[in-house]
Amino acid sequence: MSVAAFVTIAFMFAMYVMLDGYDLGVATIGALIARCERDRSAVMASIGPFWNGNEVWLIAAAAALFALFPAAYAAAFSGFYLPFIVALWLLMLRGIAVELREHFPSEVWHQFWDAAFAGSSALLIFVFGIALGNLLRGVPLDAFGYFEGTFAFLLNPYALLVGVFALATLAQHGAAFAAIRLDGELGLRAARMLRALWWAVLVLYLAVTAATYAVHGGLEGWLLVLPLLSLAALAGVWWGARSQRPKRTFAMSLAFLATLLTAAAGTLFPYLLPAFPPGRGGISIFSAAPSAVALTCALSVTLGGIVIVGIYTPFVWRRMGGKLRAE
Amino acid sequence: MLVDRLQFAFTIMFHYLFPIGTMGLAPFVAAYTWKAARRRDEESARIATFWTKIFAINFAAGVVTGIPMEFQFGTNWAAFSRIAGSVVGQPLAMEGMFAFFLESVFLGALLYRGRGLPSTFAAWAGVMVCVGAWLSGFFIVATNAWMQHPVGYRIAADGTILLENIWRVLFSPFSYWQFAHVLCGALLAGGFIVAGVGAYYLLSRRDEAIGRRFVRAGTLVAFAFALIAVFPTGDRNGRIVTQYQPVKLAAEEGLFTTEREAPLAIIGMPDVARRRLIDPIFVPDFLSFLSYGNYKANVNGLDAYARELWPPVELTYYAYHIMVGLGTIFAAAATVAVMLLAFGRLWSARWMLWILMLLVPFPFIANEAGWVATEVGRQPWIVYGLMKTAAGSSPTVPSGETIFTLIGFAGMYFLLGFLFLHLTLREIGLGPSREKPA
Repeated sequence: MSVAAFVTIAFMFAMYVMLDGYDLGVATIGALIARCERDRSAVMASIGPFWNGNEVWLIAAAAALFALFPAAYAAAFSGFYLPFIVALWLLMLRGIAVELREHFPSEVWHQFWDAAFAGSSALLIFVFGIALGNLLRGVPLDAFGYFEGTFAFLLNPYALLVGVFALATLAQHGAAFAAIRLDGELGLRAARMLRALWWAVLVLYLAVTAATYAVHGGLEGWLLVLPLLSLAALAGVWWGARSQRPKRTFAMSLAFLATLLTAAAGTLFPYLLPAFPPGRGGISIFSAAPSAVALTCALSVTLGGIVIVGIYTPFVWRRMGGKLRAE
Repeated sequence: MLVDRLQFAFTIMFHYLFPIGTMGLAPFVAAYTWKAARRRDEESARIATFWTKIFAINFAAGVVTGIPMEFQFGTNWAAFSRIAGSVVGQPLAMEGMFAFFLESVFLGALLYRGRGLPSTFAAWAGVMVCVGAWLSGFFIVATNAWMQHPVGYRIAADGTILLENIWRVLFSPFSYWQFAHVLCGALLAGGFIVAGVGAYYLLSRRDEAIGRRFVRAGTLVAFAFALIAVFPTGDRNGRIVTQYQPVKLAAEEGLFTTEREAPLAIIGMPDVARRRLIDPIFVPDFLSFLSYGNYKANVNGLDAYARELWPPVELTYYAYHIMVGLGTIFAAAATVAVMLLAFGRLWSARWMLWILMLLVPFPFIANEAGWVATEVGRQPWIVYGLMKTAAGSSPTVPSGETIFTLIGFAGMYFLLGFLFLHLTLREIGLGPSREKPA
């Protein structure tokens, strides 16, 4: 049961990265591919109907963590107090920027909100990347599982490397999405951006994989297949971009993220918050496990919810999707 | 600890301004979009677009201020989360899975529906947004209701509270009566907003046909829910507080001494040191009647309980009296407006239109005051009878850090509040007639 709960939460966070990842990525590269006011409006409109639903995955995943592993939720959120609050502010700034932009009648303020949107989105990706890096590396924990390190500890080279890798990967992901949604010259620019970013992603991927082996000792058993799958998906992104099939490129980019996150979850398992240095234990799914009743309830809620959301979201999106025509 | 309380109070009170608007305006958005999709006339389409825009600004502010609420359980109230998370996390997870997704996905569909008259699909999207907003409210109130009246749990050997029965948690009398009352509060606010905007157009002698539609729809909704807010939902909330939280009742009513034939204080100022009300105006025996349906019933005063179990009396008392007083004014004003409407006199009664316009902010005050009475009245407990608030905060977060984030939130919310007011007033100033029918 605890294993099922772990898988569910990992799945929800992965959904968050794969879905909100593309709108964060579009925001990051938006400033680079847009040349005029009309371009910038089109970039915003390309993710306008989707970003909020995507962000709910984060909220729902956090709530599921709260319900399934309250001890881990309490330790992680209060332990990393400042980084969490800063991430919150960035999320808020981003939401304000994207939702209120269109209500301002002036181009000057549009530019301001576009910059705020791009800046907060890029920074968010970086912060989440650093968080993931630290999660994989482990953090110093006291006897109750509360974080006892410093802010500076979190900014270690490995975590920063993962942060940069996250930025490149999601920028590429966003470019792949933009290439589907945007028409004409703007879409072509997104595709060119994608091919440029691809090389950065490849180099960083190899670096991060090597560093993870050094820091963590690497994957075992069947999980060893995952890096190969990641490479295959990354090759698929290149192939899709070369043959100018934006939908296939985006699907490959999704697959790339999925394999990466599965590998990350596999590295983490059975810990929710491993201790640093490795081997000192940490908060595992067994030490943080709630009662069987709570587990059953939260699992049925999240799984049932995922099924329901999985039914209506694609239905709505199909009606909203497709190319945006220049207006 | 004090800073944690201040931060939670500040962020939740600011946040709650927006759910009142979303829960109260969502049915109007849905209804106007339906009408436009059915009748296929441009005026209805303009009205639908107008309210959808105002709703969207409100929704955005609600979303961005809502995310910190969920995170704060973990960041500032880690001890509470660890001990009670097994129960409290459940309705929050349900809110995410069953309500947030619905609201966000369909609002996206409603906002970006493209040009032309709204389709039936857009109308359904409006209904779904409304369902999502209300469901979200239900799960949050259910979470709160459990903290008011914990049920369906057991306590483990290590002191953590474990879930036993989720249905009892979701459907305790506190949860459905509180939710019904909260929803009435939001709907009467929505009604007064729509009526107030209409009154503003009529008073400015512009968009008069649309203004009449707004005033008519708004006053009818406000009238219905102002009455339901008093009876049965307000009455039933009073009864369950009497039954399960008698100290809170005593503090709300300013009843310091236990009495048979207890009087109801309409006004008066609590003097806690001397344990009496200053300058009160009483309705004899009426508190006994309201609490137990019997003029002779015995009502426990604050003196029946240990001093350390009293909530902060002044705050609870004033917040409760503000809510009840404003609620009475709303019921009276809405009744007069509906009478004038029924006799066809409302359009020439400019004084009533002035009242309707100026009333708009007050339902927000009443809603907030109601929550202050509920939450402050629950003190010193974070989970009533089980866990003290003082034991709930995060052991590893020093107050210096919380002061910093409180300042940050204050700055962020000041900016957001300013933007919200500016943009909403701008939309109202532009008015529906300037909307493209798209």
